[in-house]
Amino acid sequence: ELPPSHFSAGRAAAVAVGYLRYLRGGPGQGLELRALRRARRQDINDVGHKYYLELELEDVLDKGRTVNCTAEVLYHLGSKGTAPDVQATVQGELRSTEEADKEFYHRIRSLEKELVAENIPDSQGNVPPELEPIHLLAWAASGYVIWQNSTENTKFHLAQVKHVKQVKRSDEDLQFDYVLLLHEMVSQEVIPWEVTVLWHPQRGARVPRDRRQPGHA
Amino acid sequence: MWALLVLIGAASVSAHLEDLSFDGQKVFRVIPQNDEQVEILNFLASMMEVDFWQPDSVTLLRPKMQVDFRIEAEKSFDVEDLLKESGMEYQVLIDNLQAALDAQFDSKARTASHSYEKYNNWDTIAAWTADIAAQNPDLVSRSVIGETFEGRPMYLLKMGKSGPNKKAIFMDCGFHAREWISPAFCQWFVKEAVETYGKDTVMTTLLDELDFYVLPVVNIDGYIYTWTNNRMWRKTRSRNAHSVCIGTDPNRNFDAGWCTAGASKSPCASTYCGSAPESEKETKALADFIREHLSTIKAYLTIHSYSQLLLFPYSYTYNLPPDYKELNSIASAASKELASLYNTTYTYGPGAETIYLAAGGSDDWAYDQGIKYTFTLELRDTGSYGFLLPESLIKPTCEETLLAVKYIANYVLEHLY
Repeated sequence: ELPPSHFSAGRAAAVAVGYLRYLRGGPGQGLELRALRRARRQDINDVGHKYYLELELEDVLDKGRTVNCTAEVLYHLGSKGTAPDVQATVQGELRSTEEADKEFYHRIRSLEKELVAENIPDSQGNVPPELEPIHLLAWAASGYVIWQNSTENTKFHLAQVKHVKQVKRSDEDLQFDYVLLLHEMVSQEVIPWEVTVLWHPQRGARVPRDRRQPGHA
Repeated sequence: MWALLVLIGAASVSAHLEDLSFDGQKVFRVIPQNDEQVEILNFLASMMEVDFWQPDSVTLLRPKMQVDFRIEAEKSFDVEDLLKESGMEYQVLIDNLQAALDAQFDSKARTASHSYEKYNNWDTIAAWTADIAAQNPDLVSRSVIGETFEGRPMYLLKMGKSGPNKKAIFMDCGFHAREWISPAFCQWFVKEAVETYGKDTVMTTLLDELDFYVLPVVNIDGYIYTWTNNRMWRKTRSRNAHSVCIGTDPNRNFDAGWCTAGASKSPCASTYCGSAPESEKETKALADFIREHLSTIKAYLTIHSYSQLLLFPYSYTYNLPPDYKELNSIASAASKELASLYNTTYTYGPGAETIYLAAGGSDDWAYDQGIKYTFTLELRDTGSYGFLLPESLIKPTCEETLLAVKYIANYVLEHLY
């Protein structure tokens, strides 16, 4: 049993939240961690460290609406390049985003010029309302990167969308090429990360391509 | 020194203080310790026009008395040299009287006007420190404790009603450049102090019984850099020998288990501990001030963001401090106070196990110097906006944080040592 205030519990929770954001997140849906209720750690010989978590998540667009979640995060031993295994179950219903998703999809598809934006939020923390879905989609994308790149010695958060460019496609998906700034809490580094996101109202978000931006000092 | 006096005297004969503009004029506060120093002030007053703000007249000067006087711009440097040479305790209450006046008359018309609910750039904050002291001379005085790497004055505000033998609480903000909500809180605290003194019983008692040293921005160069070049910059802006990389992490630069854990020896790293403890001018200035006032400083608070944490020593080791039980219960109660306003949950505990093992922190250093009540606050949020906390959240964040700080201050007052 771990005190929820212990940093290792918080780091595992961040991985679980990243995973969930990737799976459930989108332009109309953003989840954030409201509270870490319980944490347990199990050391499995020759395998790794497994964390059992009870989380309370909040819908960013419908604050006050929370759902409970149980998650398991397994960090593999000698974690050289292997993403942690995550399993998560959300209890209860999240707000339906069908309408918002459809509207966003059609709005972007009908743009004459590809959408381009930068610094979301800006220095003062502002996000123009029309860019909020782009911001939330970035959360979903960063969730994937965070899940895939976390270890017991890291804690990632999305610091800012540095740049985003829409790429028009001939198929049904929307494509956005992001440069995300990821803040890693333990080293305190802010790392630029190039992430390509595909999104579709029914298929959700997928990250086919991502890499740390080369040449970063 | 007498030669200096004669020179000033000679130059003063032609000057007069009846100019319509107060541009560059300074207001000094001195405390002559003995008859000799009173004599120096008398002589000064006889050689040039000195406008005494307190007491009303030079004839009322006595040793140990707080003396405020206005001096015209050209004379102010000589006067300052004279005060330094004489060894008299002094401070510059108002750096530029005209600027302070302008602020009072048309604060709305200024180009980058100050707001407690916006993020203010450094020039605005600097001007604000002068204004707030000028507008509240009974409660606030400004001094300079040192210079940054790039040569900027580090302003410190001393808050509290004048009184003998007062103990003090030291609070700093803006250690890390990108943590903008932190300097915003220090400004908010000062505002609350001057606005609610005489109205809020707790604040009135605190300011009557204690002094608060508030350093609104420690890492000024870095803060400016986040406004002009890189919003995500953290460290100072000092040059490192044998490296193209700039800056040291000021909160890894103190002499507390220095560079043994959670800090990097690489100048390119965000947690670079520096070439030596207190290698940075900013950290040295802070440490020097605290050392000089160690007998009166009873609590040390350092404000950071983000994560919503209330931390106490140690961070440089997993070992618990001797005062663990007491610090833990204060942290618990302060967190509760904070949460009472908007339900914002803070996690509290010793730094090492609550956030990470990290050596060289100012809080651990202050604690090991003997300042028992030492806390690091990491303000909102927990990562959704992170460093980019929206301006609309400045007010609620500051309001709730103030409750925690007042709780801690009150506790310190009731447990002075």
